[in-house]
Amino acid sequence: MIQITGLTKVCGKGAPPAVLDLTFDARPGLVTALLGPEGAGKSTALRLMLELERGQGVTLFDGRTYRRLRRPEREVGVLLPGPGEGAAAMAGHPGRKARSHLRMLAAVVGVPARRVDELLEQTRLAPVAGQRLRTFSPGMHRRLALAAALLGDPGTLLLDAPTEGLSPRNVEWFHSFLRSFAVAGGTVLVTTRTPQEAAQLADRVITLDRGRPVADQPVAEFCRTRLSPEVAVRGPQMARLADLLVSQGAEVRRDGGAGLAVAGIGRTEIGELAYRHGILLHELADRVVEQPAPKAALPVSSGRSGHIHAQPKPAAEPAEAEPAAPKPQDDATLPIQALPVASVATALSALAVVAPEPRAREDTAPTVAVDRLFWDGPSPGSGDREAATDLLLDDTVRLRRLTPKAAPAAAPATPDDHRSE
Amino acid sequence: MRVLAYELRRLRGLRSTWLLLAAVLLCDAAVAAVLASQAPAGPLPGPAEVRLLTAAVPLLPLPFAALGAGVLGALSYGHEVRHPGLPASQVSYTRRVRLLLGKLLVIGPVAGLLALATLLLDTLAVHLALPAGVSVAAWADPSALSGRVSEALTSAGLSGLADLPGAFAPVALVAGHGVPAALVAFVLLTVVAGWTGVLTASLTRGAAAGVLLLCALPPLLESGVALLLRQTGTPWPARAAELLPFQSGVEWAYGWVYGGDRGAAPGGAALTDPALLAAMAAPAAALLLVALLVQARRREL
Repeated sequence: MIQITGLTKVCGKGAPPAVLDLTFDARPGLVTALLGPEGAGKSTALRLMLELERGQGVTLFDGRTYRRLRRPEREVGVLLPGPGEGAAAMAGHPGRKARSHLRMLAAVVGVPARRVDELLEQTRLAPVAGQRLRTFSPGMHRRLALAAALLGDPGTLLLDAPTEGLSPRNVEWFHSFLRSFAVAGGTVLVTTRTPQEAAQLADRVITLDRGRPVADQPVAEFCRTRLSPEVAVRGPQMARLADLLVSQGAEVRRDGGAGLAVAGIGRTEIGELAYRHGILLHELADRVVEQPAPKAALPVSSGRSGHIHAQPKPAAEPAEAEPAAPKPQDDATLPIQALPVASVATALSALAVVAPEPRAREDTAPTVAVDRLFWDGPSPGSGDREAATDLLLDDTVRLRRLTPKAAPAAAPATPDDHRSE
Repeated sequence: MRVLAYELRRLRGLRSTWLLLAAVLLCDAAVAAVLASQAPAGPLPGPAEVRLLTAAVPLLPLPFAALGAGVLGALSYGHEVRHPGLPASQVSYTRRVRLLLGKLLVIGPVAGLLALATLLLDTLAVHLALPAGVSVAAWADPSALSGRVSEALTSAGLSGLADLPGAFAPVALVAGHGVPAALVAFVLLTVVAGWTGVLTASLTRGAAAGVLLLCALPPLLESGVALLLRQTGTPWPARAAELLPFQSGVEWAYGWVYGGDRGAAPGGAALTDPALLAAMAAPAAALLLVALLVQARRREL
């Protein structure tokens, strides 16, 4: 459990504060994500928590500050980006070998060398343990840094942009690892730049904007307010298709010259509809549209997370403040908040009609993966729990301390090989 | 203990450590051989022997071995700054100080061993490279031996080094009058240089700046002290000059301040004076104090 209270960092006189009064809790068993664009103060906040930078505010790890922890490596695992920009960040000296690097750090933590080999297996670096770090890819560097953070078998993980600049496979590996770490009872706090990743990975999302916390939401609420699934359709007869879709209850808006962005109806249904009416399609693709983050000028939330389950803060959801009055300006390029009774702008007429039968989207709060947001099958919204159980059943990423007797070389579910990346 | 284990592993696992040590040994031996081959014919004086054995080159502020130890120390700290280990070892003051002391404890013996190894190698190189006309006084003449060595020899029942088999001939190079003391001082100087390298790098938070500061220290210190002594009217203490016959920096400062050459006369009693030892360790001790104070003000290493 990490309790963060009033973290503030003021860089200089006149300059805006890098972090202003950040207050939240990261609870055990949950993944908490700090979300914000570059320069929002996520890394600064993390460094402030570890007291690597001077600033105000207190961060308690199970009741003690990081500096006062008796054995910090055994309680909090920290992954900070190494020297080097973004994806080029190194986990250690380029001339070292992976195993000797970890053994060296194990000497500081005071754990036996056996633990090093265990972690190399766990992070799938065992085959390259004898190679020098300069030959490592960004994904391998990041996994090595994670292994170093896990040396003391901590119950809490603090990770600064763990998946930034990595290949999708490595990102997926990191996600499943962190999810299973949390499921095993650990506390995970990560920073990320992309809302999609936050939705996929986290249970709670705290949004930062220019150093100010603007939203602290459970992931379901986050997905509802900040992400909306859409289908991009492109073709020569979009006006006709738009009319048909509107009559089906979908929400349609113009997307570029000969394209539509359709919400409220599945991809397969659109395809069927087009086929039945003989409409030619050039493109039909799912995508997730990101809603603009709430602005920092709004009243800042300062309540502890966990107490706001029942009562969504109005500050966090500016769109719900006035649900009956959509904004009059009809900018087609700007994503429009999906509302239960939605205003529909068709590609040609920008005609506003009331959708006759809004789909029951509010009930299908997805919690794990964004791709589960799409209505793949006939039963919408049934997949989110499945995804969680998928991860639980994935032995390859199961934590060692959860299953201490598990064989070290548990066969991966899929024979994928991260070395190739 | 953990810090020592960490530091040893760190030092051992880096290729640059071994390359640096090898380079120091090679350079040292090569320079010693070249200097020895240029020695004028006749008996070799004691200071010249020391100069040959430590491979002192007039332009370098420190002997090769001391410079190598200093670079090793600076790299050891610079490594922590450029490639930080776990953040936990950087946050609390006690752990940072422990890391610094661990580095000093590891670098000290390594520097000492390096100095001894260079001496061994240089003795061989000088012995092989000395021209035929040059004779080493200590080999044939027991009266040219240093006091301790002759004591040891008489207790072993020998009257002089010449009684030993010919394979021991290089020993004569290090057994001359006053030479062992000067060589021990050289080893100490190397150790102090290694520590100074760690501390300067810790002050400047970078290996390169640390090495530069280390190189600048001896000339600055020596000329500063010499100027100060001249202002106060005290002559340059003869013993300090005895202690540092191999240091090009001190000679340069000496020659500059007093104008003219001066034949160093090494004496065996130099090292027994605690004041001189203190004077030698003073820069490192002062740096350590400053480094500890600076660490208290810092958030990271």
